[in-house]
Amino acid sequence: MSDAESLDGMSTVEVRTSATAALIPTIRAVASDLAARADFDLDAISDLRMAVDEACATLVDAADPTSVLQCRFLVRPERIRVHAEVESAKPDTVLSTDTFGWRVLQTLADDVEVLHQAAAEGRRATVGIRLDKSAGDVPR
Amino acid sequence: MSDAAAPDPFGVGLPLDTEVSRPRPGTVLLEVDGEIDTATAPRLQAGLDDAMDAAHAEGSHVVVDLTGVTFLASSGLAVLIGGARRVTALGGRLRLVAASRSVTRPLQVTGADALFDTFDDVASALSAEASRPSDAEAGRSRAADARGAGASGSRPSHAAAPPPGVAPPIGGVGR
Repeated sequence: MSDAESLDGMSTVEVRTSATAALIPTIRAVASDLAARADFDLDAISDLRMAVDEACATLVDAADPTSVLQCRFLVRPERIRVHAEVESAKPDTVLSTDTFGWRVLQTLADDVEVLHQAAAEGRRATVGIRLDKSAGDVPR
Repeated sequence: MSDAAAPDPFGVGLPLDTEVSRPRPGTVLLEVDGEIDTATAPRLQAGLDDAMDAAHAEGSHVVVDLTGVTFLASSGLAVLIGGARRVTALGGRLRLVAASRSVTRPLQVTGADALFDTFDDVASALSAEASRPSDAEAGRSRAADARGAGASGSRPSHAAAPPPGVAPPIGGVGR
């Protein structure tokens, strides 16, 4: 992930794990902690925790078994942006977005986007999810 | 939140415990404790299948106690929704005990709460059954609605689409 936003002086937290479902609880716990400390309301904390879980679970399903799951949290005033990414199991892996889990993710987050990146020299194809969540039910 | 460390967090994920009991005649209670996500949802499915098979054989109701559940992902919701469909097909309603935000928020934000009778505690869920002989009938008319809404297409139909203003389930009021 080359993301200039991470250099803007805001709080950034990155968690890297093996791309396995067994480690997603660790990542969603981080999401929960960051949201709580960013003064998200209780529903928004719960929603972000669940959204991050859904995103990671979706990516783990599509990941190469040897991949890392990289999850970066950009904590802003009133908002957290999450980038999660894995190396794809296959060069042409495409995330399926016609699932129940995906619809739940869309409901939970303010905005969600799938990011596919083709293989380039020295690096494998990746698939990622970006999601945004604001601190509370304020009009957007 | 999680004071019990998983014995092997890298292998099996967090623990999820399910236990079937019969707190009173005519009721099979499934108590669930832990976090329900993609790794543990199969254990919820197994527990729920056991409870529902037993209840079906005995002609009992099923109450699923989610009081000890500290996380509920869509994979777990899908299992519960499948259970609700099965009970609904038989003319009843699946009863859930859901007290904490970890459970009530996912149910609410997806609209899945319309598919269950939800109670704050086990005692309310149990006594509601005894005091409501007309429940089966009420459940039957709602069952028709749920079938109409959910039967289209083979994909798991999203529960988020119940019409707004769906009357809260009779049992949801509790007291």
